[in-house]
Amino acid sequence: MATTADHFQAHSEEHAHDHKPGFFARWFMSTNHKDIGTMYLIFAIIAGIVGGAFSGMMRVELADPGIQYLDTFARWFGATNPDFNSTLHVWNVLITAHGLIMVFFMVMPAIIGGFGNWFVPIMIGAPDMAFPRMNNISFWLTVAGFISLLCSAFVPGGTGLGAGTGWTVYAPLSTTGSPGPAVDFGIFSLHLAGAGSIMGAINFITTIFNMRAPGMTIHKMPLFVWSVLVTAFLLLLALPVLAAAITMLLTDRNFGTTFFDPAGGGDPVLYQHLFWFFGHPEVYIMILPGFGIISQIVSTFSKKPVFGYLGMAYAMVAIGVVGFIVWAHHMYTSGLSVNTKMYFTAATMVIAVPTGVKIFSWIATMWGGSVSFKSPMVWALGFIFLFTVGGVTGVVLANGGVDDNLHDTYYVVAHFHYVLSLGAVTALFAAFYYWFPKMSGRMHSEFLAHLHFWVFFIGVNLIFFPMHFLGLQGMPRRYPDYAEAYALWNQVATDGYMIMAASIGIWFVNIAYAFVAGKKAEDNYWGEGATTLEWTLTSPPPFHQFETLPVIEESHHH
Amino acid sequence: AVAPEPAAAPAQAAAGSYTPMTPTPGIGMPVDGGIGFQQQFSKLGEYGEWIHNAVLLPIIGVISVFVLVLLLIIIVRYNRRANPVPSKTSHHTVLEVIWTLVPVLILVGIAIPSIDLLAKQYKPAPKDALTIKVTGNQWFWTYGYPDNGDFEVISNMLNLPGQPTINNGVREVGSEPWDGPSHLEVDNRMVVPVGEPIRLQITASDVIHSFAVPSLWFKLDAVPGRINEKVLVVEKPGVYYGQCSELCGAKHGYMPIAVEALPRDKYNAWVLTHAGGAIDGQKAAGSETDYLPGEQPAGEASEAPAAEAAAE
Amino acid sequence: MAGTKHHDYHILPPDIVPLLTTIGALTFTSGMVLFMHDMPGGAFVPWLGMALLLASMFTWFSKIVNEAHAGDHTPVVQLHQRYGMILFIASEVMFFAGWFWAFFDFSLFPSELSEAVAGQWPPKAVEAVMDPFDLPLLNTLILLCSGTTVTWAHHALIHGDREGLKMGLWATVLLGILFTSIQAYEYVHAPFPFGQNTYGSAFYMATGFHGFHVIVGTIMLIVCLVRAYKGDFTPRQHFGFEAAAWYWHFVDVVWLFLFVAVYIWGGWGYPTH
Ligand code: HEA
Ligand code: HEA
Ligand code: CUA
Ligand SMILES: [Cu+2]
Repeated sequence: MATTADHFQAHSEEHAHDHKPGFFARWFMSTNHKDIGTMYLIFAIIAGIVGGAFSGMMRVELADPGIQYLDTFARWFGATNPDFNSTLHVWNVLITAHGLIMVFFMVMPAIIGGFGNWFVPIMIGAPDMAFPRMNNISFWLTVAGFISLLCSAFVPGGTGLGAGTGWTVYAPLSTTGSPGPAVDFGIFSLHLAGAGSIMGAINFITTIFNMRAPGMTIHKMPLFVWSVLVTAFLLLLALPVLAAAITMLLTDRNFGTTFFDPAGGGDPVLYQHLFWFFGHPEVYIMILPGFGIISQIVSTFSKKPVFGYLGMAYAMVAIGVVGFIVWAHHMYTSGLSVNTKMYFTAATMVIAVPTGVKIFSWIATMWGGSVSFKSPMVWALGFIFLFTVGGVTGVVLANGGVDDNLHDTYYVVAHFHYVLSLGAVTALFAAFYYWFPKMSGRMHSEFLAHLHFWVFFIGVNLIFFPMHFLGLQGMPRRYPDYAEAYALWNQVATDGYMIMAASIGIWFVNIAYAFVAGKKAEDNYWGEGATTLEWTLTSPPPFHQFETLPVIEESHHH
Repeated sequence: AVAPEPAAAPAQAAAGSYTPMTPTPGIGMPVDGGIGFQQQFSKLGEYGEWIHNAVLLPIIGVISVFVLVLLLIIIVRYNRRANPVPSKTSHHTVLEVIWTLVPVLILVGIAIPSIDLLAKQYKPAPKDALTIKVTGNQWFWTYGYPDNGDFEVISNMLNLPGQPTINNGVREVGSEPWDGPSHLEVDNRMVVPVGEPIRLQITASDVIHSFAVPSLWFKLDAVPGRINEKVLVVEKPGVYYGQCSELCGAKHGYMPIAVEALPRDKYNAWVLTHAGGAIDGQKAAGSETDYLPGEQPAGEASEAPAAEAAAE
Repeated sequence: MAGTKHHDYHILPPDIVPLLTTIGALTFTSGMVLFMHDMPGGAFVPWLGMALLLASMFTWFSKIVNEAHAGDHTPVVQLHQRYGMILFIASEVMFFAGWFWAFFDFSLFPSELSEAVAGQWPPKAVEAVMDPFDLPLLNTLILLCSGTTVTWAHHALIHGDREGLKMGLWATVLLGILFTSIQAYEYVHAPFPFGQNTYGSAFYMATGFHGFHVIVGTIMLIVCLVRAYKGDFTPRQHFGFEAAAWYWHFVDVVWLFLFVAVYIWGGWGYPTH
């Protein structure tokens, strides 16, 4: 591809000053994948701040046993003189909103909507997405979903204002247990965001199948593109099942059906099956694009092609496929039969194998390389280690007999934050530093980016590592208050949060620095290791890139 | 194994007396700053703990450290200065096969004890095992004793001093000498006989709750419209605390579980303190199982009349 | 817009319709919340949202038709559309999988504890079910028939037989409307109510969503019919028609599953009326 680069440079220069639509048309009527990607990123950052702030509120409340701040928070949400139940309800609203926002409105929009939109078309040598207009509505529906979720916080939801069902929205707590409009707003929020994501998935699959530049065979696509392809299939097949499940919630709540109402013969556990049939693929939806990003970065900064490219690509396919048949490992204590539990125990552990292939292939990519530790690479190394830690605790939880003790304890919270807040988010920051200059045209400060990493790394480990201890000791999740014995590690976790928060401050300073004083970014500011097509374009790329399609030469390999 | 104390005289049992047991600090409850499992008081718990501590934890520890060490080697040996010219290898079939097969073998190694644990956990209760019905409610537990005259115990968390009232009409924690830790102690414990298999039938009256006691390695959801069943055998007399483990609304955090395991005779005496409490000798004794045979001579307790002891 | 492009992809100018559609959707869902909780605005906000949604979708699809006329739908763009439609249908399949999952859960494992069900299927509370070999069988034949008429229309179109195209489409649309009417009649005369127990819930929601899809499919076919009269579609380029036809076949197949599983198997040996 390096060769195509030079051949290609000439063309992009020609249209370097292509004209852009005016402000309103550009941002509210966009049909441009890069602008839509940018909007997704900005949206995700806003959602991340909101979700991160909610987790801060949670952490201060959990710093000590007893209820300290929930009453104040209840008033923030507009409750006047909340009674004790509605004060406690605020806790459930916080965790619900935090979980939903982080999953649906931060990670997914950032990693698929943001980076996927920006770089999938470019990496395959396409001028835009297959359905540019549908791309736009995918974004706006995500915003609409977010608005609907925010609305829910200010209306009654049972014992207080807002939806307090947990992000899993289990029935019957979410049906008979939560009268009032809040949960309905929450359900519609998922309908809207889900519809947007399904359309996004259709768009990505079509783009990747049909718009690869001449010579860009499917086995030459960069791994980030592969990862988005697999993710899109997971979205396409998993989200509609969620849509059906939450529609059942809606009709149970409002129109007298009894899907989950035992009085009419309904089955609350059915909801769990439907939810997790979506929910488990969902967790891979959040991590697979991260895998793709890490592959690009590791290869770039080792100045080596990715080790075992085919194995890497098909490991993701395997993770995606197996991801559909392991869902009930979230339900070990719901009363499944022992045979079912044995099956799901075995099936779940299988996923560790393709994931291991990925971890070891990244290591092998770096092995023998000439590795430079630029900021994206440091984040990527952090990812590999932290994700491994989170992954192996998943293997512990996979054992149905062991999960009988650990289910719904902080061990689970620790597990999934290691793969999400330390996995997916670390991959996001890696991607951010990797591509920010490409997107903005300005270099960030490498020093601040490294500082951001180290402070973040220390902070999040302090938050989440002790949660393993809490979980082993039996502290249940979704508790605003706890026995004294759990105080120490909760205190440490809250201290860790403060450190982590500082790192986010450093990040903002870095962004501001880049825009105010950052050097202009060259086309390929990472140098010879960076071989994918985005490095053949200017930084930022022209409004419409590849008006002449690039031709990918036979010889080169990812 | 802990053998229950010798059966008490029937007359004593008939009296129906009970003073709650004072829990031993650190037993059946979390310990300050603890970093591992709570000490286990069931065979399955010991087995589960062993699987975690002796199999899983070492394996995941070694894997994590292995990955970390490889990364450190890369940082030291393959940085730009140490290794200016990158190699171009991007395939190594033998390596790829190894890092696929070795994890497979490790996982098989984990799966064997793990599946065994599952099988043991779900051994059905012997027919004559004592049945206790556990019902989760917003936000308290009720325990029904169908084999002992079908009385019911309502169990609420004790209020916390200096905090808003959680349960009206319930005293504060620490106001009796036998009170366990705050957040965990309840007004009326679920009392069970020690050393014999107990069939817990768990359900809920409103939303899903989960009956969980970490030191007994027990967690099973209380789902409305379903009866989930599992055997519990407590090895040693004592008080074992747990907490509701499925989000069930505002006071999900305030519906703890306290299981008090007593020797048979004391259990019988406790039963008789309840209105309608009855001891059915046929059921209470002679449950010879491979769990832990209670050394109860059959019929002993059955002499006891169904005393109508005053309810607390 | 920008410089000259040297490829066949469709680069679109900025467009306000996606935002309007979204506003319509959000207004509709929020209005539904107001409606469901008898809150102020509940009576008209959903309609407002629905109107905006429909209007923007109409505009959207009109634009696509116009772009087709303008020659924007090059072979590769048509290929996109094919992929898009197939993938959309795949997601719809999974949506119905959710409803079938509920149905089989209830029918294979009827609740023992619920008095309304009492461990049997159809549940105890259900006195009679529909006779599958009465109107539902007729409806099956109607849908199967409509599947052939739409194929007839397609063949006619490919062979340049405009009259055949219109005839085939007319027949399909009428059969679709007939199906919906019979279905409505069945609902009104059904021997069991909506909701209240798992039978009513699974039956009405699964067949109801199918019915909704029939209506959407019928509208798609009506649009095709209108376009046929306006002279749209050529033997070589008529993806709008094909998409409608695919969708129609999909709806057809879902019905077959519903008919066999829900109507026949799900009520086997049970009193009917
Ligand atoms: C990005 C998100 C993400 C990812 C990638 C994973 C990955 C995995 N998860 Fe996790 N999980 C969540 C997000 C995620 N999870 C969330 C959000 C929840 C909670 C939801 C809720 O209840 O709210 C959850 C809960 C959860 C549970 C339920 C716990 C409970 O509620 O009781 C289980 C149980 O099996 C589980 C297992 C696993 C496993 C086996 C993997 C595997 O994919 C991990 C594989 C990776 C490795 C194993 C590491 C690398 C491999 C090697 C270095 C090779 C060698 C390794 C071995 C031989 C072991 N997860
Ligand atoms: C991606 C998912 C994600 C992320 C990132 C986080 C991040 C954090 N989470 Fe959370 N969390 C969940 C998903 C996530 N969480 C879920 C699903 C639950 C379960 C909810 C339930 O029980 O229903 C949960 C529950 C949960 C609990 C348990 C509550 C309980 O059970 O009672 C706690 C407790 O401390 C917690 C804390 C935190 C903290 C301190 C962070 C901090 O790390 C937060 C700091 C913030 C960031 C690190 C984000 C910064 C990112 C950006 C600003 C955007 C970046 C964008 C670009 C680069 C483009 N979370
Ligand atoms: Cu009861 Cu949680
Ligand atoms: Cu999972």
